[in-house]
Amino acid sequence: MSSELATPAQLDFEQIKQIIPQRFPFLMLDRVVEIEPGVRVVGFKNLTGNEWFYQGHFPKKAITPGAMLCEAIAQTGIVFFHVTQPVQDDVTYLLGSMKIRFLEPVWPGDQLRITVTPVKLTSRAGILNGEVSVDGKVVAKGEFALAAKENSSL
Amino acid sequence: MKTENLEQDVKALIADIIEMDPDQIDSDAHLVEDLGMDSMMALEILAAIEKKYKLQIPEEELPKITTVNKAIELARKYVK
Repeated sequence: MSSELATPAQLDFEQIKQIIPQRFPFLMLDRVVEIEPGVRVVGFKNLTGNEWFYQGHFPKKAITPGAMLCEAIAQTGIVFFHVTQPVQDDVTYLLGSMKIRFLEPVWPGDQLRITVTPVKLTSRAGILNGEVSVDGKVVAKGEFALAAKENSSL
Repeated sequence: MKTENLEQDVKALIADIIEMDPDQIDSDAHLVEDLGMDSMMALEILAAIEKKYKLQIPEEELPKITTVNKAIELARKYVK
């Protein structure tokens, strides 16, 4: 990853794709609006009624799956990890654990504001806090562990 | 900081992470071989000890957490 991407003030969708490997239909981050390496990363994901997961969750009442909120947190975590201590090797980021509490249902049309802050970081892994809010109200929060694993070891 | 129960407290932290009853964990048990832990869990233990005792433990100590007793030893070393 080029160093000029390590410290911008914001990241647009195309820049996010240069950092995280997820793609449609699994990209849960549209924009990164705050970057403080080692301190905090804040991103947005705009949910539309067209999201693929609403087809099945649920057919009669679209509600955002908690798993997708976890994915949005994890992807923001990858950005956090990347801007804080870029790993140059060919790696894949894996989740070790995720302890999340879901506080409010999330609906089509909601804009997720995802904030990730560190609990404990090492050179190749981290325990991070994740919080998702909609219109200033926290809808999910918790702690998760993320590690950069070399693809050759997977 | 209350440290008289440090051994039990660290064991409880580990038990919580590996989802076992603290009473079922042998203090000499090897975290990877006997308790099925991985490196991420070791980091979680380190973070949990830091959080509980409000201290910082350097990354170099991470590989030393191989048994429950080693984790307790590590906590004791840094807790003043």
